[in-house]
Amino acid sequence: MADVSFLLNGETVRLDGIDPTATLLDWLRDTRGLTGTKEGCNEGDCGACSVIVTGGDGTPRALNACILLLPQLHGRAVRTVEGIAGPGGELHPVQKAMVELHGSQCGFCTPGFVASMAAAHSAGATDYDDRLAGNLCRCTGYAPIIRAAEAAASAPVPEWMAEDTGLLGALDSDMPTTADALAEWYLANPEGTLIAGATDVGLWVTKQFRALGPVAFLNRIPDLRGITVTEDRIRVGATTTVAEFGSFIAGHHPGLAEMIRRYGSTQVRNAATIGGNIANGSPIGDSPPALIALGATLHLRRGPDRRQIPLEAFFLEYGRQDRRPGEFVEAVSFPRQPDRLKCYKLSKRFDQDISAVMGAIAITVEDGTVTAARLAFGGMAGIPARAAAVEAALTGQPWTLETVTAAARWMGEDFTPLSDMRASAGYRLKAASNMLLRYFHEDRGTAVNVLEITA
Amino acid sequence: MPDDIAPTRHQRLGSNAGDPHSRLDGIAKITGAARYAADNAPAGLLWAVIAGAPVARGRVARLDTAAALAHPGVTHVITPENRPALHKDPDLRAALFDWKLDLLQDDRIRYAGAPMALVLAETAEAAAEGARLLAPEIEADPARIGFGDGLAFAAETVGIGAPPATAVGDVEAGFAAAAQVTEVEIETPPQYHNAMEPHAIVAQWQGERLVIDTPNQAIVMSRPSFAAYFGIPPENVHIRSPYLGGGFGSKAILNPAQILACLAARETGRPVKLVLSRAQMYGPTGHRGATRQSLRLGVDAAGRLTALSHHAVSATSSFDDFLEPAANAALNTYACPAISVSHSGSRWDIGTPGPMRAPGEATGSAALECAMDEAAHAAGLDPLDFRLRNYAETDPATGRAYSSKALRECYALGAERFGWKTRPMQPGQMRDARGRLLGWGMGTSLFPAPMFQAEARATLRADGSAVVETAASDMGQGAWTALAQIAAEGLGLDLAQVEFRSGDSELPDAGVAGGSGHTATAGSALYSAGRDVIAQLTALATADPASPLHGAGNRAVVAADGWLRIEGEDHRRESYAAILARAGRDALTGRGKGARDPAHAEARAMFSHGAVFAEVAVDPALLQIRVTRLTGAFAAGRIINPKLAESQLLGGMIWGLGFALQEEALHDRRSGRLLNADLAGYHVPVNADLAEIEALTVHEEDRFVNPLGVKGVGELGITGTAGAIANAVWHATGRRVRRFPIHPEDLA
Repeated sequence: MADVSFLLNGETVRLDGIDPTATLLDWLRDTRGLTGTKEGCNEGDCGACSVIVTGGDGTPRALNACILLLPQLHGRAVRTVEGIAGPGGELHPVQKAMVELHGSQCGFCTPGFVASMAAAHSAGATDYDDRLAGNLCRCTGYAPIIRAAEAAASAPVPEWMAEDTGLLGALDSDMPTTADALAEWYLANPEGTLIAGATDVGLWVTKQFRALGPVAFLNRIPDLRGITVTEDRIRVGATTTVAEFGSFIAGHHPGLAEMIRRYGSTQVRNAATIGGNIANGSPIGDSPPALIALGATLHLRRGPDRRQIPLEAFFLEYGRQDRRPGEFVEAVSFPRQPDRLKCYKLSKRFDQDISAVMGAIAITVEDGTVTAARLAFGGMAGIPARAAAVEAALTGQPWTLETVTAAARWMGEDFTPLSDMRASAGYRLKAASNMLLRYFHEDRGTAVNVLEITA
Repeated sequence: MPDDIAPTRHQRLGSNAGDPHSRLDGIAKITGAARYAADNAPAGLLWAVIAGAPVARGRVARLDTAAALAHPGVTHVITPENRPALHKDPDLRAALFDWKLDLLQDDRIRYAGAPMALVLAETAEAAAEGARLLAPEIEADPARIGFGDGLAFAAETVGIGAPPATAVGDVEAGFAAAAQVTEVEIETPPQYHNAMEPHAIVAQWQGERLVIDTPNQAIVMSRPSFAAYFGIPPENVHIRSPYLGGGFGSKAILNPAQILACLAARETGRPVKLVLSRAQMYGPTGHRGATRQSLRLGVDAAGRLTALSHHAVSATSSFDDFLEPAANAALNTYACPAISVSHSGSRWDIGTPGPMRAPGEATGSAALECAMDEAAHAAGLDPLDFRLRNYAETDPATGRAYSSKALRECYALGAERFGWKTRPMQPGQMRDARGRLLGWGMGTSLFPAPMFQAEARATLRADGSAVVETAASDMGQGAWTALAQIAAEGLGLDLAQVEFRSGDSELPDAGVAGGSGHTATAGSALYSAGRDVIAQLTALATADPASPLHGAGNRAVVAADGWLRIEGEDHRRESYAAILARAGRDALTGRGKGARDPAHAEARAMFSHGAVFAEVAVDPALLQIRVTRLTGAFAAGRIINPKLAESQLLGGMIWGLGFALQEEALHDRRSGRLLNADLAGYHVPVNADLAEIEALTVHEEDRFVNPLGVKGVGELGITGTAGAIANAVWHATGRRVRRFPIHPEDLA
């Protein structure tokens, strides 16, 4: 049981003794009677339940209410579709535009779109395709919605939207607020579940109906969050969100930032954390291959004990990681380096889709010779893994098409991928090899990026 | 009586029709105030959850009902052992729109997800947990899924009662006369509607009356289907369905959850709410059945079709008979002296398919347009030129003249806008600046323009405003708006003066929101009802010596802006309110029906048409396919509201994109369960999947289709689009992929 307090559409809500795995969506609809927010899938795929959540930094973000557990809201402000219009019923500019430009048809996805659009509007964002990739619409063909977003862009942010900022800095809570407290709690509750963004753990609740036992929420622990840059390393705290990491990394490794643009959806990236994406050990998580290619080190902590391992060593086999009971991911770090990283995310649907193959490649060339090669892939094995044989075949060789072609042939030595509904084994292997060829061609200036359209 | 009030002839409509009015339900939708079925929570309700079968075939040997009942909050578990009797056998079809339903009649499992039990509880969580605790023991049989494993059978009907085979002319002679014969076999997968709103129902009994909140595409027509299960008169069923969160055909047919919820409500004496999870919508709520289609096209030296045969094997369930009428696409699209279409069935252990946006037309058009593209290339002709050479001036199936057909104009407009004329004949010739392979393809859109039966009531009130009523379904297409516009036309009132009541079975029957015929049918009924009011009002005025219109005789009386006036004598006019006031009437009610003139229906072929042009870009190394441009030009009679219609067409086109590249249900071959029963695995297009999309319309003056000249736009856009994209993929890569959706690896 947990005690939670947050702002809901400008009003303070205090909930005592709630079920810690109750979702915001169920609570809004069934307890609070706010049925404007819709359930379309209950697992973060469709965005019909999008709401706006403003945290301590004052930035409003769209999140999926269906996989947002109430304790995650502690100390934050929530705005649902019912609170996006002004207190006197004045429409928000995006609402007005949605009506005038016919952005709503059956209307079921509309509250979620309105929330995503209003969050983007407050942030002054105009990358609508990305902002709305996590909101499915089955009626409109999307074009009218985008037109509405564009039409509303120049209107000022309504004053009532600004009320959500900076009100809730210091609320009492029984949740751990320091990494030390968490370490102690986890040592005492090694069977417990740590919940960061809940984009994965949320599904254990909403889809698998699992009882989680003792839980700890990490969103109130500032020392696990944030990115530190030193002279030679970049350290990413475990609960840094994927969205935060994405905007930071654009300045260092733009290829990784571009991949993150297609990682989940805006709502998912706003909730999901880098540490969570590593700790859950998914063979198709998108951040581990990229971090492995950057030579990342994983920082683990158990009680007072800390250890560091190469990130790739953390993944032992499908579903099993090198993590002891009570041990948690504290951070991941990697050396600052010249940008040689390119990421290739291959999925059946281009946007908002789980990768069939995610390839991350960083090859260092000095005086025409490969001096270091790191190739890491997701979707090629039961774990994210390096292509050791390919790396060996590249290292020390001249950086030529012949070398690359010859090295790519070793891909079959490194991986025996599965055939599944995302792709066949043969296609995966071929695509992984072609990613290396593409890397070479891009490096040589005959660049091809699926998105760099000029037509 | 002035003759313009008898709307049997083509009507000139005023400014309400054709106005791109913003949707009247828009504010309710963008503020979250619009109330959908699952938003209802009457006091004292019980939550119901269906426990669905984990395999596709077998029987349920045991359910641990004791464990479920022991869970706090669980109140009832209904299984075949204790299921209260129903008044009707769920395995009997009593009416055309009846599907056989799995309503816990026995322990058989006929498809994955079929109900094994219904669990009722005080909370949604308790009901879900109760369902989990049932821990079924299953005796599973191997699932028969796929054309290889399915049981072939001869079709008796296809679609809703249509004949399985049709032939025109001498097909063998046509092939013998051909200079070339193109043969193509194409498969389309099972697809699921995936309306954004999951199916939901809140059922409550008030004595012998059943009150239901549920999304429904045929609100009054569905009453007898519900009533039959409970042995009550249809008028005892009250269905409230003001907003549907998308339907696409899946909400036109009853599903097991709806009847089970009503049954549970009767049994418990409490309101029952049942909302399907997204995963539960892959099985019991219909889908588009898979097809395997074989086409042969004979073409003479001049590039004209000499024979066209189209056969479809359509998958259905093991126990019911709906077959996707895919091959019928060949009957009406292209001129050809000899056409043969036929269907057969394949029984799979799946839920019964049903109508899904353009049922038959979508699948059939996808295959036909690919085959036409191949035949054009074989004949050395540009695909558009080939289609123009085979332009049907009369309906190939019946020889009838079209009620209207501006397809030629659609081809021209779409091609011009797209820039089609610079398309190279050979594939693999175009690249964009980043090295991606570009390809252009096209397809013809075609969809029938049917009308059904509808009734409406219009009541003029003392203040000159009106209320109009019919139980229409707005599943997003815009009935609340477009129908109100038509009603306002009929009454000669401004839209703001008309209150539209709809979405409730206590109102006159608006027929079905399906077949793209709802606006035409319900709109005609509303228009007629308005004209009836005006006729009565005119009779009152012209008979009254105190009225300026007294003695108008045969001179035309015009109704506009709330006034009657005599044409050409504008000073002789009187407001509706004044006429009513003097007559001492506080209201005047008129009634109208919507149905097609049988003489026109006999004499004319009635279709909407269009042309879709697609550009794709294919990454040569990873083979990822992006649709970079889609241009559609469509002719669908009179467009009542361009804003609504454009969005319907865009929505249809993006369904075509999903059809071409994304949508497919994948079954585990052992259990028969779906592998991708969620929106993460069952892909529908997201916004960013499409760079540029455009839907243009060409006006058609149609004097036959109905007095309003309205066809339909709901399903048209998907036809033509899927084929156009597949053809563009070929044009980019030189690969003819014979299976939808096209995966990147199919291009390897």
